[in-house]
Order: sequence, then C-alpha cells, then structure tokens
Amino acid sequence: MPDTYDAIVVGSGISGGWAAKELTEHGLKTIVLEAGRPIDPAVDYVEHVMPFQKRYRGMGNRNQQERYQQVQSQCGACDEYASKFFVNDLDNPYSTPEGKPFSWIRGRQVGGKSIMWGRCVFRWSDLDYEANAKEGVGVDWPIRYKDMAPWWSYVEKFVGVQGRREGLAHLPDGEFLQPWPLNAAEQKARDVLLTKFNGERLVTNMRLAVITENHLGRQKCHLCGNCYRGCVTLSYFSSLNSTLPAAKKTGNLTLRPFSVVHSVIYDPKTKKASGVRVVDGNTKEMFEVKAKVIFVCAAALESTRIMLNSISPEFPTGLGNSSGELGHNLMDHIMGGGATGELPWAKDRREVGRRPDAIYVPRFRNVKTKHPDFQRGYGFEGRAERAGWERGSHMPGFGASFKKSLIGDLGPWEMTFDGFGEMLPRHENYIAIDPHLVDAWGIPALRINCAYSSNELKMQDDMVVTATEMLEAMGATNIRTFKENNAPGLVIHETGTARMGRDPKTSVVNMHNQVWDAPNVFMTDGACMASNANQNPSITYMAMTARAVDYAVGQMKKREL
Amino acid sequence: MRRREAVRFLGAALALPFLPSGAEAAIEFGKQLHRRLDDVPFRTLNPDQQRLVTQIAEMIIPETDTPGAKSVKVPQFIDLILTEWSSDDERKAFLDGLKDLDVQAMAMGSPRFVELAETKRGEFLTGLEAKRPQKEGAAHAFARIKSLTVYGYFTSEPVQVDVLKTQMFFNGYDGNVPFTPRV
Repeated sequence: MPDTYDAIVVGSGISGGWAAKELTEHGLKTIVLEAGRPIDPAVDYVEHVMPFQKRYRGMGNRNQQERYQQVQSQCGACDEYASKFFVNDLDNPYSTPEGKPFSWIRGRQVGGKSIMWGRCVFRWSDLDYEANAKEGVGVDWPIRYKDMAPWWSYVEKFVGVQGRREGLAHLPDGEFLQPWPLNAAEQKARDVLLTKFNGERLVTNMRLAVITENHLGRQKCHLCGNCYRGCVTLSYFSSLNSTLPAAKKTGNLTLRPFSVVHSVIYDPKTKKASGVRVVDGNTKEMFEVKAKVIFVCAAALESTRIMLNSISPEFPTGLGNSSGELGHNLMDHIMGGGATGELPWAKDRREVGRRPDAIYVPRFRNVKTKHPDFQRGYGFEGRAERAGWERGSHMPGFGASFKKSLIGDLGPWEMTFDGFGEMLPRHENYIAIDPHLVDAWGIPALRINCAYSSNELKMQDDMVVTATEMLEAMGATNIRTFKENNAPGLVIHETGTARMGRDPKTSVVNMHNQVWDAPNVFMTDGACMASNANQNPSITYMAMTARAVDYAVGQMKKREL
Repeated sequence: MRRREAVRFLGAALALPFLPSGAEAAIEFGKQLHRRLDDVPFRTLNPDQQRLVTQIAEMIIPETDTPGAKSVKVPQFIDLILTEWSSDDERKAFLDGLKDLDVQAMAMGSPRFVELAETKRGEFLTGLEAKRPQKEGAAHAFARIKSLTVYGYFTSEPVQVDVLKTQMFFNGYDGNVPFTPRV
C-alpha cells in the first residue's frame, strides 16, 4: 500500500461512500479508511434468514447483548439477525454525566450504518434553512434551498428514491420513482384526513431509498421486508450496494478496512492538513497516510472526535476548534410520541408483500401559523397494517378455534402515527474528549453531554395530541397513545458538532464544508449541520458531500488547494 | 438442506430467476443451528414440569388438520428460553407459577393440574386468563406459556414452511387484495 494519495476519505458509510464515488470519478486516486471489517453481501447479508434458523427465533441473544451491546441493542435493528452490524460497546466506550444518558448507536464496517439505516429520504426547504436566522437560534445557514436543490437531484437520480409528488412548498418533491401504493386502509385515511383537516394534515407515501423498478444495475425490491439486514438484490441504497461499487469501477479506489483513524495531521508550513494518523484495527500499530485533500466522513460524533484528537501547537484544543464551537451544538431528533388505533374500514382487504416503510405525514406545525408552545415542528412516520399470528399472545382464548383464527384470519387494520421532531442547536449540548477514557485502539474517547429541552418535550406532548386527533377524525377505536422517554441519540440522527456558518469565529466549516482552520479538510456528514430540521437527514449528507467534492475538485484544478 | 426445498421455502421460483447464493448459505447455516436445537435435552423443566407445560401448550395450540404445539417441539423451545434466555428472577417466577397451577388444581379436587378432567382444565385456564396480568403465580405462568407457545409454534420450521407458507420474494406490493377469513 502506498502512503500517499490524492484524497483520503475517512469512513465508508452514507457520506464516505459518496465522497469516494465523486472523488474517484473525478480521477483522484482515493483511499477510503474504514475502521471496521469488510462486508461480503453473499455471506453477511441475512435478510432471508428465518426465525427458526436462529437459536432464539429472533428474540435476541440476551446474554450476549447484555454483555457486549447494552447501548447498541436499544436500537431495534440490533437484533438476533443484525446485531453483527453494530459495534461492541466494550471496545467502543464513551461516557456521559450521571443522570444524562445518551444512546450512541454505531456501525463500524464497510458500509457503516448505511447497511441498517431507515432509508427515509426528504429534502429540506427554506422554512428549515431560514429558521435559525429568523428565530435568532444558533447561527444562520450560509446556504439555502437553491444551493442544495441541484445536488439533491443529482444524488436522488443515482440513489433511486420512490415518492409521490405532492407539491408542498415546505417538503419539496424530488426526483421520484413510482412509489408503492398506499394500502386500502391508508388510502381511506388519506381521503378522510384531507377533508377533515382541510389538506393541512396529509397522509402521503413514504419517500424511500428503495427501488420499485430496476435501477442502474440494481434489482427492484422483492418486498421481503427486512432491509436492515442487507439486501441480496441490492434494492435499497447503501454505500456497499451503490456508491462504493461505482467508486471501485473507476480503478482509482483503494479501500482499507480495519483502519481506525486517530487524528488529522496539521502542517504549519503549508497551513493545511498533510494526512491522517491511523491505528491498524488488528495490529494496533499506528501509521500515517498522506493526501492533498481529506474528507472526514466518519459520522458526526466520530468525525468530531477525530478533529478534537487532532492536537498540534497551532491548535491545542483540536483542529477546527478556533471558534470554540467544535463538539458543541449537538442535536438529534425527538421521537416516540404518537398513537395507535383500530380503523373502522377495509375489513375485507389485506396486503400482499411486506413494504419496509409505509406512510409519512409532513410537518404541519409552525408552517403557516405559529404554535404557542414550541418552535419548529415534526412529521409522523406510520402505517396501517393487520396483525397475523403475532396478535395471538394478547388475543383471548386458546384451542382449535383460537389456532384457526391465528392461521386463517387477520386482526383489524391498526394505524400508527409516530412523531419525529426537530431538536434545536444549543451550545450546552456538547461532546468533548474524556481525559480518562480510551477505546480498544488506545484512542481517547468521548464524553457526551446532551439533553432534550422543554421545546422538544412540548413538541413530543403535541405529537400525542395530534396523532390522537387524526385517529379520532377517522373514527378509530381502541386508541392507545404513547410517549417514550428516550435518551437523545436513539433516533440516530446525531448532528451539529462541527457546524457550518458564515463566520470562522462562530462556526467550524464554511459553506462548502471546508474546515476554516485547514482548507483541504472537509466535513460533510451530520457534523456540519447548523440545524437539524425534522426530516430524516441522510440524503442531505449525500447531497452536501457531492457538492463539497465538486467544490474541492474545482479548487484543486485552480491550484487553490 | 436440499436445493429443491430451499427453492420452495423461499418462494424463489415465483419471482426470481435465481436463488441468491447468500441466502442458500444462510439457510444451510441455519439448518445446522436448528439440528443442534433439536438435539438439546430438557435442561430446566423436570419430567413433571415438562408434562404440565406440554399439556398446556397443546391445549393452546392443539393438533388438528395442522400440527400442534407438541409436534413442533414448543416445550423444548420453552425450556431453551428458560435455560439460556430468561433471567434468574424470570425463571423462578415461571417455575413458581407452575407450582401454583398444581396448588390451585388441588382446590378443584385433583392433586395435579394434568390430572384434572379436560373440561375442568379448560375452565381453569379461562379463569386464569380473565384475571388482570399477573407478575407471579398460576396466571403469570399461563400467560408466559401462552405467549411462548404462540411464538414458538408460529416461528417453527414446519409451521413457517407448510402452514403459513412464508414467502420471501414478492413480485410487487398490493395493499388492496380481497380477503375472506378462513375460520
């Protein structure tokens, strides 16, 4: 392996995969440094493994999880089938203050969390980009919808996004493939709510990075319903299924697994970064890799940790930290507010095929009118479905007719609305290096200090109210509300710890994701977010990464980098 | 597993021109695990408890024109969960609950639950189910057996393959398919 490249990409997940594809397609010799192991889809993908093929039938290896994955197994996807895609908590420690938990869910392997991600993809609008400035929260985004729109289009066309065009100003349409239809119960829900809420609360098809037709060499989805475990037909987007193969095809890609990046090396003579320090994941020996340009795409908190560990006489508190904002303004989303109820219709209809995700209700709070209790808003993910045998443990009775009903009948259509709300950036939510803690590779680990504030908690209260209102408007019965007390982090949309801004005194990266302190270092994952909107964020990281590579390559051609 | 079975099991012939090599490897691996599970002797439930759990499981899901709980080895699954999966407290609550089933059977005129007349056993379990969810005692044990029986039965290979005919490949999604219950 040579030790000098045109470009280094740290991380091979959603953002790193895009950086690799774009850099290599521009002709740059690029090395991707991935902390975890390689993944072979033919062996490691397990979406068709049946419950009887697992020792605990999918109930999870509880002893193993309690020992090695206490944090990771808080995420539902870290189950008996897919726990191998999540880190070992003992090897990857972090600390939190007493009484202030944070659930840091991580995937360290080629493909990163893009293997298990939720695949919901939404654009932002200027309602989101302008909010900080209008409300005096955090710093103003130096970009707007018009800066991002072409890049969303660019990545959506490659990713393959199914969605329904709705023409909403605050949730712009993208480059959509034909979506799966709503099911009979959801279609009726859409019709009823359109009338009852005057179009304000809209049940629409989930916008999803799962292809409904063959797309760029990948096969259309076969509806097994287990996307988080991999996909042998490559039907959902992941870096492993899509961007990394594209990068490989150029001949310019070197992919090095088991490469745990420790820090970025700063060269005071050139006032740029010269490369990265890497710990070999197996031998634990440290080595250096050099390049002209470095994309730090290890996921928000890992990327920020690398920068905080990048200490030099010029940057004693970490590279990128001249503003003092590196590590601060940590955000996630808030979820777990909503309701479920039984719908009175479509009793003679059922589904064939297991859609991995179903419906979305776009944000309706603080869009046209101001809500008295909180800023910003939330959307609902949801679905209507009928339970099969799974309802048996709670269904009264036993015996032959009980059994026959579980085999030959279905439960009522039940509709769930589960809110996902915006969290505001606050300086006091921050990560820092824990002086007493290192990971299994000897790299200083994080102390995470983060809590939801009253704005988020009031929003969660409102999710319960509005979900119930919608179910009542539909004439639903047996309505059960829920309000979960999750630690932040569990939505796995952690962002903001290297925020983008207009002013080097108050932000970490500029409008091109370029670190103010070292212009050849780019941070394009969730770390750069100046606010978090309420939409699922990954497609935005993809678009920002492609946009930043375009800028970096342009600057290199002009010899500015 | 023979390849023909694998194809049928995945429903692959319906939708896809190939059987993914990864899936086949995964199935073979799973079969090995499954064979191991079949060979596991009871490790927590003693013979009396086995008889009791087996009888209740079979009352919940009896053999009809399709297999019952006993023939798809639900009692062995419950023993596995008690032995390897449950916490010490959970295991104790379950086993104490089994004891309580016999204690309460005594009041109905039999030294053991398994020796009650069939109609009496049915009335007894219906009575337990009518109680609020309990954390201990006979009602707790019955609720646990019921939930593990339903889960263990419907996730077993014979039921997944031959009764539910679980499919992994669909040609498309249809959410508006006419449905008439078969009950």
